[in-house]
Amino acid sequence: MHPEKVDKLATGIILTLAGIVGLVILSLLAYILATGIPHVSWDFLTSSAESFRAGGGIRDQLFNSLYLVVLTMIVSVPLALCAAIYLSEYAPDNRWTGLLRLAIEVLSSLPSVVVGLFGYLVFVLQFGMDFSLLAGALALTILNLPILTRSCEDALRQVPYLQRQAGLGLGMSKWRVTTKIVLPAALPGIITGAILSAGRIFGEAAALIYTAGQSSPAIDYGDWNPFSPASFLNPMRPAETLAVHIWKVNSEGLVPDARAVSNGSAAVLIITILLFNLVARYLGYLIKKKLTK
Amino acid sequence: MQNSVALEAKQLAVFYGEKQVVYDVSLKFPANQITALIGASGSGKSTVLRSLNRMNDDVATVKGEINFHGLNINEPKVNVYRVRQQIGMVFQQPTPFPLSIYENVIYGLRLAGEKNKEVLDQRVEESLRQAALWDEVKDQLKESALALSGGQQQRLCIARTLAVRPEIILMDEPTSALDPVSTSQIEDTLVQLKEKFTIIMVTHNMQQASRSADWTAFMHQGHLVEFDKTANIFMNPQEQKTADYLSGKFG
Amino acid sequence: MDNLRKELLRPSAESKQEVSGKVVSYFAILLIGGLVGTILIFLTVKGIALFTGNHFSLREFLTGVNWQPGHHHFGALPMITTSFSVTVFSGLVALPLALVVAIAITEMLPSRVYKFFQPVIELLVGIPSVVYGYLGLTVIVPQLRQMFGGTGFGILAATCVLFLMILPTMTSMTIDSLRAVPQSYRQASTGLGATRWQTISRVILPSAKSGILTAMVFGMARAFGEALAVQMVIGNTTVMPKGVMESAATLTSVLTTGIGNTVMGTAANNALWSLALILLIMSLAFNLLIRLVSRKGVR
Repeated sequence: MHPEKVDKLATGIILTLAGIVGLVILSLLAYILATGIPHVSWDFLTSSAESFRAGGGIRDQLFNSLYLVVLTMIVSVPLALCAAIYLSEYAPDNRWTGLLRLAIEVLSSLPSVVVGLFGYLVFVLQFGMDFSLLAGALALTILNLPILTRSCEDALRQVPYLQRQAGLGLGMSKWRVTTKIVLPAALPGIITGAILSAGRIFGEAAALIYTAGQSSPAIDYGDWNPFSPASFLNPMRPAETLAVHIWKVNSEGLVPDARAVSNGSAAVLIITILLFNLVARYLGYLIKKKLTK
Repeated sequence: MQNSVALEAKQLAVFYGEKQVVYDVSLKFPANQITALIGASGSGKSTVLRSLNRMNDDVATVKGEINFHGLNINEPKVNVYRVRQQIGMVFQQPTPFPLSIYENVIYGLRLAGEKNKEVLDQRVEESLRQAALWDEVKDQLKESALALSGGQQQRLCIARTLAVRPEIILMDEPTSALDPVSTSQIEDTLVQLKEKFTIIMVTHNMQQASRSADWTAFMHQGHLVEFDKTANIFMNPQEQKTADYLSGKFG
Repeated sequence: MDNLRKELLRPSAESKQEVSGKVVSYFAILLIGGLVGTILIFLTVKGIALFTGNHFSLREFLTGVNWQPGHHHFGALPMITTSFSVTVFSGLVALPLALVVAIAITEMLPSRVYKFFQPVIELLVGIPSVVYGYLGLTVIVPQLRQMFGGTGFGILAATCVLFLMILPTMTSMTIDSLRAVPQSYRQASTGLGATRWQTISRVILPSAKSGILTAMVFGMARAFGEALAVQMVIGNTTVMPKGVMESAATLTSVLTTGIGNTVMGTAANNALWSLALILLIMSLAFNLLIRLVSRKGVR
């Protein structure tokens, strides 16, 4: 066949197939949102879940998901940032550093169910945390650390060496150069990476069913004392998240309106993650603009 | 004081990993003079310069002595930050921090913990005057340093280095990124600076060396070929290689 | 002048900052490294307890087809087979389609289209696997039931769900590797009179090969380790699969359902940890494979 004809044919086939794939995926996305959004009401978002009756909401699950993200970030951001600083600023180019990098890579490739099981074994049983937000947050930290460390390191490495050199030439310590010059310049990248990773752990379920647990006892949103057992801030209480809720309702749930509850929850989950992505993009853009001004 | 030695390199040898790039360089830099290091790219002149205030600590192995006030500062026990505060450095590319002009100049002082506003104000004016930038920027000290022109930025970087009050200033091709007008302004500045500071400068520009330097060292493939008063090097070089380089036969 | 010499020899505030900065950041990276070591050790110790503590034969574990923890039968071959099947199937379906979409976006459609699709793909990558599982449960399983009869639950349903889940990731990685091919290659090839397809098939795809393979292995690694999405649609019957429409169980799905229903320390529980160990070893193997594939590209 003539090359021109082959070219036309190949182009036609590729574009058609790509179009079909794109259409199927987008229509599935649209399907979830279209079936879910009608069920999302203020009442759905602000009332608590039901175990046996229809009409339950997702207030506690939504709050648990967000609170868990916050707890995870509190633990993982400083740790990942420091590790990234070591890797980008201090690490000598030798085998030991290579081994540490390998360890991070291994960590990032662990299936989340394996991380969940480790969390169950160590945090829940060994450390006696029981099913709790804290155990869940630590499991999520394990999942989050490699991603976050890598994105922080990338952001730090993107700061030109000239800036570091100028600081070192003034007799500043490397640590000062890093915190005062490199870190501010890398901030947009770090924040964007952190928010994107927050979006990822927001929807995590497999690592949580045996760490944060699958139940949501009654909690009191008026109790601001994090040590009181019923307080919504207490990190030692078990907490079912939104993603776990979807799984739970569908695999062993007893509520008659499981479909409606899951549709609504899925839509909320996707919209929240969309928000995370948008905020990350916008914030990155804003800070970049401010810095280049 | 004219001929006292501010800094002395003794049998300096520099290695990047296994590869040796500088061989047995010994130089005495006279105080309150401008010394130029010239040579083709890859001759090791920048490497020598960066070794003098230990900017090469992380990237290379430097052997030999660097004597400053009777102390070999090329030893691990010497406080490398103090060394760099005493022997400042200005780089090829102007690199102002994304701060105001004022904050840029006193950056080093602020980190050293100086809080007295009068001291800071006075030091900003002094340093900017020495760098011949004061008259141009005195009304916009609070504005961003990034808005300055390339030549102004480089003079700001010089002022930033001066504000720490070093004894010696190392300059690594300070004008190679600048236009001819800015270049001649900086050269004028250098001549005034040498009253108070000792200047060691790497340049690929032979006219610049002949115009501003009192002393010139010519380096070739990691070796020091010749070191003498600038006039002697340019008018009456003792080595054939120097003569070849100056007449443009290589480099 | 003696004063200056003393100053030069004395540690200053900077020296202290440097030491504490180094210690703090080194501590963080050591913590992560230690964490990885702990995970590997804990899971290995728990994973071999079935063989060392309960004296169950490793051979029977790997080759036996009978999984009945209540009767002390721990043949894991059905789950191993199913896990590999769904992984390979979904990877094989997703690779060409990811490639097609990536080629269309980077080589054929105007860059406006890429600008529009990039955030969409990012969103799809970020959608939690539970949502894909739920989608499988409500859309794919009923559809399969209608088309082929039976329950609809099974290997085919799991493959479809995993395919949907890994396609965005693989597409976005493939797009990245195609975009990394220097523009000058395209110009040189078209300058010699090659058609667009000739350029794509003879220049661009070969030079992006290692990136594309990495994307596939990465996607398959994710598919192998996915738990809940698969567990929701595969039917969870721990028998040797006989066909793609048959209900089956993967390593991950047995783990998710089983861990809560067994007592710590019993043989039935230890057998589950052995499954987890297989998962861990496989994830290390995938990791190694990715290293090999992507290093070949750098050369």
